Amino acid sequence: MQAVRAEGLTKRFGNLTAVDGVTFSVREGEIFGFLGPNGAGKTTTINMLITLLRPTAGEAWVAGHSVLREPREVRRRIGVVFQDPSLDRDLTGRENLVLHGLAYGMGREEIRGRISELLEFVELTPFADRQVKTYSGGMVRRLEIARALVHDPDILFLDEPTLGLDPQTRARIWDYISRLRREEGTTIFMTTHYMDEAEALCDRVAIIDHGRIVALGPPEELKASLGSDVVYVEGEGDLEALGRSVVDAGLAADFSLSGGELRLRVRSASAAIPRILELASALGIRVGEVTYRRPSLGDVFLHLTGRRLRDEEASPPRPLRGVRRRFS
Amino acid sequence: MSFLRSIWVMYWRQLLRFWRLKSRVLGSVITPVIWLVFFGMGWSSLFNSPMASKLFGGLDYITFLAPGILMMSVFTASFVSGVSVILDKERGFMKELLVAPASRAGSIVGRSLGDATTAIVQGLLILALSLPLASGIKLGGIPLAAVSAFLVGLTFSGVGIFLALRIRSMEGFQVIMNLIMLPLLFLSGAFFPIDGLPGWMKVLSLVNPMTYGVDLARWSLVGVSSFGPGLDLAVLGAVAALSLFIAAFCYERATLE
Ligand SMILES: Nc1ncnc2c1ncn2[C@@H]1O[C@H](COP(=O)(O)OP(=O)(O)O)[C@@H](O)[C@H]1O
Ligand SMILES: [Mg+2]
Repeated sequence: MQAVRAEGLTKRFGNLTAVDGVTFSVREGEIFGFLGPNGAGKTTTINMLITLLRPTAGEAWVAGHSVLREPREVRRRIGVVFQDPSLDRDLTGRENLVLHGLAYGMGREEIRGRISELLEFVELTPFADRQVKTYSGGMVRRLEIARALVHDPDILFLDEPTLGLDPQTRARIWDYISRLRREEGTTIFMTTHYMDEAEALCDRVAIIDHGRIVALGPPEELKASLGSDVVYVEGEGDLEALGRSVVDAGLAADFSLSGGELRLRVRSASAAIPRILELASALGIRVGEVTYRRPSLGDVFLHLTGRRLRDEEASPPRPLRGVRRRFS
Repeated sequence: MSFLRSIWVMYWRQLLRFWRLKSRVLGSVITPVIWLVFFGMGWSSLFNSPMASKLFGGLDYITFLAPGILMMSVFTASFVSGVSVILDKERGFMKELLVAPASRAGSIVGRSLGDATTAIVQGLLILALSLPLASGIKLGGIPLAAVSAFLVGLTFSGVGIFLALRIRSMEGFQVIMNLIMLPLLFLSGAFFPIDGLPGWMKVLSLVNPMTYGVDLARWSLVGVSSFGPGLDLAVLGAVAALSLFIAAFCYERATLE
């Protein structure tokens, strides 16, 4: 059985189409990611799947139940961590968890056992009886993850689970997520605009932009579709002409220019770079810097949409693997 | 089953919050006490002729006023129920409530019951404080006055929740609350008898549910009434049920839009 199935799911707010006919399915036990920039429609999609927004068109089934016709059945089987905080800040961490268990029809004893287990899991046991308003952002997030798990849901929805957290807390949350899947077999649907997060955690990723899914598959496959390496050339001169001649020479599958930087998809960077430099000098281009790396999901996004995943990431790519060479 | 359970869960949560924020609650007792002391004693010292006393059903003014002030504090405390809905929306806790499989109607009824309960607690606190000032209060009338307070509390927490579900901002809610609250209070007979009011005002006070709450509280605490306890109870019961029904109906269909 599919854990989640969406068909032509669409949401319009007035003139704006926030989610534009997305179709996908999530398998039981997998971590499925929605990767896309701010405003792509990730949260809106989640809100439709968790029965808090009525789709304008299309239909979705979660844990085998229709979100339109059987919202109660869906709600019973899912746990949700919302993008923005959603705890009662005046109550203690433990009280928040107990209320949740009660609202999901659990008995006191059952709740007590489950809560102490989960507080251990998210490492909040010593803080459980403090009011949530004394918690740090990371602690709030961890408590929310624990709360979403109190009733042992079949499917966990995580909307940008590490947004705004420091690297240490992010690593911790990544660890919880992969342990959940490994140890409990929980199906996880998550959204993120961090490509490293999607690569590290997700079995399959849907890349979403302007409400549409532009690519869907395991991260490795999506990256492989770009060829094996990406070479970036910075320099003065006609970079476009360079791009064309590299492609004409059969060295690269294609090229693109953005921010004064030429990007080439090649089979093997080490073989291609010397010849690219030859072509550059033949065209009279003064090459400033050449870098290369294995393609990332960010490159897949750039390739498909012509834009970077995050506007803030306008700086040139760092070599993740491989060397940075300077030529003068 | 799920209905009763949601009532209980939300009731418990509202009481828990009340307990956590009890210092704030003490603050809300101050305003009615100020009314009772300054407004009540001020007029009491002027209205000490037999003629004036006839206006207030044979009572001295402060004794006449005390049940009104009780209902005023219940009214304010329960209307503020809406504020907790807006806070829950602003802090995102509303999403946690909406995504739960619990009965939504039950959850709203529980919220109202909880807020009405806390409103009674505040009202009884005020009543205790007014005992030394208002000499004519009959202690035996307190249970029925509490019933009146409870029904008024349910009614206006329902109204507060209904408004809060469609208003986005705290400021917006406060504006509407201030707009509604004073006229309802002045037209309820809490401060002066409504019998001698000009026709149009009298009509307004007769459709104001508060009027019946004040009348019932006054009947039970000091034995003066315009309508009689039977009519008061019937009106209050019907209005409270209607108000809860409307709030539950709106909440049942609530989404994030
Ligand atoms: N309630 C709403 N009313 C109007 N527009 C909305 C609403 N919610 C989201 N949007 C718009 O829909 C688009 C998608 O938003 P969202 O789903 O939150 O994106 P993401 O979660 O990917 O950042 C954005 O342009 C956003 O401004
Ligand atoms: Mg979002």
